[in-house]
Amino acid sequence: MAVEMKLPTVLEIIRGNIVKHGNPLALKGSEVASWARELNLPARGEVLFYTGGEYQLLPFIDSLVKTMTHMDQGSKGFSLMMGVRNMLDKAGINAEKIYASVLAKDKDRFNTVCYKAAVILKKLGYEICYSGEEELYSGALLYELGYWSDLRPYAQKVADVISRSGAKTIVCLSPHSAEVFKLVYPKLVKDWNVEIKTFVEYVWEKRDKLPAVKVDGSVVIHDSCRLARELEIDEQLREILQSAKVDYKEAFRNKKWTTCCGGPSKLLFPEISHTIAERRVGELEETGASVILTSCPYCLSALQGGKNTAGVEDLIEFLYRGFEA
Amino acid sequence: MSIDLQKEFTEYTKNLNKASKDERIKTAIGRAVEAYRKTVDETLERFPHTPALAAEVRTLKEQSTANMQGLLKEAMASVERNHGKAFFAKDKQEANEIVDRIIGVKKSVVKGKSMLGEELHMREYLEKKGHEVWETDLGEFILQLKKDKPMHILSPAIHVPREQVAEIFSKFFGKEIPPDIAQEVAVVRDFLREKYFTADVGISGANAFAADTGAAVIIENEGNVRLTTAAPPVHIVVVGVEKLVPTFQDAMKVVEVNWRYAQYGVPGYVSMVSGPSKTGDIEKVTTYGAHGPKEFYVVFVDNGRSAMARDPEFSQALHCLRCGGCMYECPVFQVTAGHFGHTYLGGIGAVWTAFVEGESSLEKAAPLLYSCLRCGRCVERCPMQINVPRMVGELRNRIATGEKTGSAEDAS
Repeated sequence: MAVEMKLPTVLEIIRGNIVKHGNPLALKGSEVASWARELNLPARGEVLFYTGGEYQLLPFIDSLVKTMTHMDQGSKGFSLMMGVRNMLDKAGINAEKIYASVLAKDKDRFNTVCYKAAVILKKLGYEICYSGEEELYSGALLYELGYWSDLRPYAQKVADVISRSGAKTIVCLSPHSAEVFKLVYPKLVKDWNVEIKTFVEYVWEKRDKLPAVKVDGSVVIHDSCRLARELEIDEQLREILQSAKVDYKEAFRNKKWTTCCGGPSKLLFPEISHTIAERRVGELEETGASVILTSCPYCLSALQGGKNTAGVEDLIEFLYRGFEA
Repeated sequence: MSIDLQKEFTEYTKNLNKASKDERIKTAIGRAVEAYRKTVDETLERFPHTPALAAEVRTLKEQSTANMQGLLKEAMASVERNHGKAFFAKDKQEANEIVDRIIGVKKSVVKGKSMLGEELHMREYLEKKGHEVWETDLGEFILQLKKDKPMHILSPAIHVPREQVAEIFSKFFGKEIPPDIAQEVAVVRDFLREKYFTADVGISGANAFAADTGAAVIIENEGNVRLTTAAPPVHIVVVGVEKLVPTFQDAMKVVEVNWRYAQYGVPGYVSMVSGPSKTGDIEKVTTYGAHGPKEFYVVFVDNGRSAMARDPEFSQALHCLRCGGCMYECPVFQVTAGHFGHTYLGGIGAVWTAFVEGESSLEKAAPLLYSCLRCGRCVERCPMQINVPRMVGELRNRIATGEKTGSAEDAS
């Protein structure tokens, strides 16, 4: 006999948003793709630039988590807030307002990460295309949270959008998307034969063209779990920094022994997630570095929340500074 | 039928949050993690053959899991040949009933530390049946008095500092015990010494069980297991069927890898128990019950294990040696200690919980499964390279789709 188990509301809403809106927080395609307006990237090409909308999500996640920490996740107000647009909560929470206020406050930094990544790749000599408003989130969270039966039809939808680009290679900004495309999609999608690369690998291949990046002090690399363990990308990050003439430090727990940033439990266990992030920041700061460098949207967001004195930057933001100088 | 997990999650989250703010846990676990990493590094350097031995044990465990029923049959026959009595219990209820029947009525029992004992809530069961039961492992003894649950599988009372131990002991022994570790250890030694020699029955677990010889191999440091297995006139070994390996040599390989990753070069004691104590010194007539127990029993317990073994996604969970190394590497465990767990702790504990808690296994496991970060560092540490994140993903999938993990009814 099958016993149906009702998971906490937050998970069900994330699932619903991905399946229905192609994005965990039901962001609109126009919001997800707004960073690309000035770049006029073609919709078709050999190499597809894939954001998955993940960096764009970050300011919303943080704002929601802040609210959630003070809110009972089982309450009605909570479920309304989690991405169900155009609904006014009878208890007095206006979901649309939360989205709007976040946009006004915080969108710049995280939205421009995608812009900077695209510029870096172009400057390194890559021709890239982009699906724009059509782009769908990879569904990594459906995999992560156990909604595998939803992932199969959803992955097909994502694959259809990707195939319209005609691309043979996808370059992913988020290691979570790269992981699910590389390791899970082959089992779910028929004739899935695109090459999957991470932004880090793509930059690494042309690292000789990287300009130097000036830093006050040194940086420390926070290896993302997915990148270091599932995708086995760690030395590449070091070699990129060497090419950019950057003095970097190693944390005691690094590469395949890296410590998780706590990000994965941010939605269900925000306090624990925050404590884990603080501890990891502590490990990284012990090295005396002034900048913590990561290459994953969720690590960026989690470590940012747990930071003490060192600044937290994504590799994309960091390398872009070299091109600006 | 539908179960709303929200309430379970809410309660569990409150508990986790509280634990994460507990300064005692922070200090104790912080210290333990640092010591663990340092000692294991040193130990592996001193005994560099260990990783290769671990690889050998991995293969051995795979083969043993695939042939669990065959090994069980062989082991039970070996125990009987050794003049012991072998039993098989399909679940918790059966295991506890069998042990209670062997013990008899209102007896005194001394018990060695056993995770299986915790899984079965054996002490509580036997106490309810009117027996007097004493945990002899110091950590377990403290928790018995404190009515608390273990916070680590090897160092169960890792979260209780000496001052609190002194308070608990002063109250229990009815005299002032100072917060001095040596004195705390001494007072328990004196108290339990008398119990070993007056107890009717000793109960222990086993770290490995050799099918060919019917031998239980138990590792420890305190010497309490030595006394528990040797002093009382009756001994009962309660062991999970996943501990079965083909030969005595195999069992020794398993325990060496086990203790090495549990940060020991060599443990204080390795006990091998295969039957009742005997002598043939007078006229070559074999007589049972010389200095050790006259009666010897082994209860092999399934309780969800054969369901795990049959499922290709989960059979690897049975390879767990319970060295506890993964916990020290787990970011969630580092913050919350044993609160991230049920009987079994951490990510592997979440997987085990999904099988060994009877009908409500998956329900109980759900909050644990969703608090695992799936970060994968436990896999790096695990001498058996058990892929916990993969199994956690699969179990989340089963929760989301309402599929069960199998129950005791499946046990053969």
